Amino acid sequence: MHSNALNTNQIMRQVIYALALGIGAAYTFFGWGVILQIVLAVVTAIAVESAFLSFRKLPVNPAISDGSAALSAVLLAISIPSIAPWWIIVVGTAFAIIFGKQLYGGLGNNPFNPAMLGYAFLLISYPLQMTTWANEFLNLSQAMNAIFNLTSVDALSGATQLDEVKTQLALGKVISELEVHSISQAWINAGFLLGGLYLIARKIITWHIPAAFIAGVVFVSSMLYLIDNQIYLPMQNHLMLGATMLGAFFIATDPVSASTTPKGRLIYGFLIGVLVVVIRVFGGYPDGVAFAVLLMNITVPLIDYYTQPKVFGK
Amino acid sequence: MLNQSFNGGIVIPNPHPVEVVEIISAPLPDKVVLPLQQRIGDEASPCVKVGDKVLTGQVIAKTQDHFCVPIHASISGKVVSIDDQTIPHKSGLKSKCITIESDGKDQWAEYKGCGSNFLHCDQATMIEYIQSSGIVGLGGAGFPAHAKLEGIQDCHTLIINGTECEPGIMCDDALMQHHPREVIRGVEILLHICGAQRAIIAVEDDKQEALNSLLMYCHNDRISIEQIPTKYTSGAEKLLVKALLDIEIPSGGFAIDTGVICQNVATTKAIFDAVVDNKPLVSRIVTVTGSGVESPNNYEVRLGSSFEHIVSMSNPNTNQHAVRMGGMMMGVDVETTDTPICKITNCIFVNNPEERASTQECIRCGQCNQACPVDLLPQQLYWYAKSENTDKAMDYNLADCIECRCCDYVCPSHIPLAEYFSFAKALHRKTTEDQYRTDIARERFEFREYRLERNKRERAEMMAAKKEELKKKMANDKAQKDKIAAAMARVDKTKKASDDA
Repeated sequence: MHSNALNTNQIMRQVIYALALGIGAAYTFFGWGVILQIVLAVVTAIAVESAFLSFRKLPVNPAISDGSAALSAVLLAISIPSIAPWWIIVVGTAFAIIFGKQLYGGLGNNPFNPAMLGYAFLLISYPLQMTTWANEFLNLSQAMNAIFNLTSVDALSGATQLDEVKTQLALGKVISELEVHSISQAWINAGFLLGGLYLIARKIITWHIPAAFIAGVVFVSSMLYLIDNQIYLPMQNHLMLGATMLGAFFIATDPVSASTTPKGRLIYGFLIGVLVVVIRVFGGYPDGVAFAVLLMNITVPLIDYYTQPKVFGK
Repeated sequence: MLNQSFNGGIVIPNPHPVEVVEIISAPLPDKVVLPLQQRIGDEASPCVKVGDKVLTGQVIAKTQDHFCVPIHASISGKVVSIDDQTIPHKSGLKSKCITIESDGKDQWAEYKGCGSNFLHCDQATMIEYIQSSGIVGLGGAGFPAHAKLEGIQDCHTLIINGTECEPGIMCDDALMQHHPREVIRGVEILLHICGAQRAIIAVEDDKQEALNSLLMYCHNDRISIEQIPTKYTSGAEKLLVKALLDIEIPSGGFAIDTGVICQNVATTKAIFDAVVDNKPLVSRIVTVTGSGVESPNNYEVRLGSSFEHIVSMSNPNTNQHAVRMGGMMMGVDVETTDTPICKITNCIFVNNPEERASTQECIRCGQCNQACPVDLLPQQLYWYAKSENTDKAMDYNLADCIECRCCDYVCPSHIPLAEYFSFAKALHRKTTEDQYRTDIARERFEFREYRLERNKRERAEMMAAKKEELKKKMANDKAQKDKIAAAMARVDKTKKASDDA
């Protein structure tokens, strides 16, 4: 006796499908590296998860087929540079699955978003590889060369826009002297935005976290912009650069590690949005989605406890 | 149509709809099995013995407890046994039952009620008749009807629950379609008893036929008939009151606390029979439905007949069946169809065996809290119920869960949430009881220690006091002796003097 609505496996799969638009956009601009990273990540995730489940003497198949490991792997793969060497994504995915998920007891028990835990681990451990992005479309052989370290790819790579802005500001320039726009980033963000709207329409996620996330970003970035528009980027840059839309619709909404009450989801999403901008502007790293999500993951039990809905008759 | 409904709830269409909702009179059974334990209250003690001849409607068992209702023979015939029989219960429990073999004549014991001029009867007599006719809530709760109607102080609205409590059940729909007159007259009786200003009969919006037939017989402007959206758990008393009157009955409270009385339509019809004729409740309408029967339908059947008696009339297929008493959501699975129908048996689901979907981990997606009609957070409750942390679960209002299983129904991981919750509730009850017992034992022990200590101390004090007293007494004695000696000396002296003189 169950509703005909999606089951957990189908939900995970739908989320992966919804990522397709954003991934397609990334492919258009960065080329085959994007796809290779995803393949490497998914293979690693399934291998590591299977191995770990057998260590724990648990049945392997149900856990693999729920698609959650694959989803974490895809999220991590599209967060890292498409030309990062192969061992980056392998190490990162293994870390995400082992330390982010299995050590806590597997799906449903992890307090942190596994993909973001993997990302944070990689960013702290290998900052150089994690901030070198492709500059142009790479075909399959170029991407293979880059990822498997066959030839140098310096000519094809550079920093991201957010990183560049940070560097230039540090050199004493002001915003009006910089040309801040990135067609690729805007398209990729638009892709994830549309995919996210699809998830809301399919009732796989609720609107609360993405809306509050975006509101948080808009709120802090416009405040800062009003204070000084020569040091701080305007809100539209914050919305369409970096991992904003991916974060708002796909990462912060990971139900396992997010707040679960309706009111709690608003608070949780909003504060992530605020932290994203604060970390981008005042922190040492170019983007802040991973750290913002991880920081807010810690607060979830507290938020959930204090935002319980009013029970009928109380 | 009203639109102030509660949050949550789910829309489930009738899984086995029928074109015409009928009531088929089931033939007299060969034998009936009548359990002595009612849903609520003490077990009744039989007042017949094996071999006795009984008439239909004759009282065969009763209790001293005024809260309970007597048990009547539902057919005429001979008592063949009074022993343990399987009753409709999840664990195939056996309980003491009276078995009567039919003589095929269906001879009734005499009964006489207020007659059709019932408004001349006083309330106490009516309530008396309701009790002696054995009326309990026929919606499924089995709460004695007279207990709900006694000592009403302040009741402004009477609500008659004509919502089918669960998808698939059709017995109340059938009753409203085929007995509208009795229902309306029953409502008038209830209005008379509870003194409410108005009555509302709530009918779901997918039961147009029932609504029409009620409207045809309703000529009392104190009675209104309201349609409410068809949504599962609308039939739950508290939620129905919310949907109709926008009143939220406080957690742990009853409808009457807010001046509202609820009765189910079938109970209302039974009350009509009880008051007008004092006719004992010996039959009820039961829906037989499910994927295992060709023609789902409603049967008017004598209490104590076996499930099989009416299941066999609905063209069951030849599969091995999963049988369930009550609805698809809150019903209980029973092991065999050789189980007696009792007053709370509103529906029998006969399903083809179905593989239970495998359970996965909770991903906290929150669909359950959107479906919960009482606004709980089942995903949090599950977390604590699973780890047997009942204190924390109580903190998250476990006690308010009505176990409607809406959360189970929507859970994408197919977790049997309500089962966890009923387990956690039982565990909590047990731990608090154990705690209570331990506390009592500890208090007793501590009091004993204190008492021994006190006795010792009191004895010591007493001894000390006695010693003191004795000492004093002895001291006094000495003074006395001195005085006597002095007096004696004086006497001797005077004696000597007088002798000398």
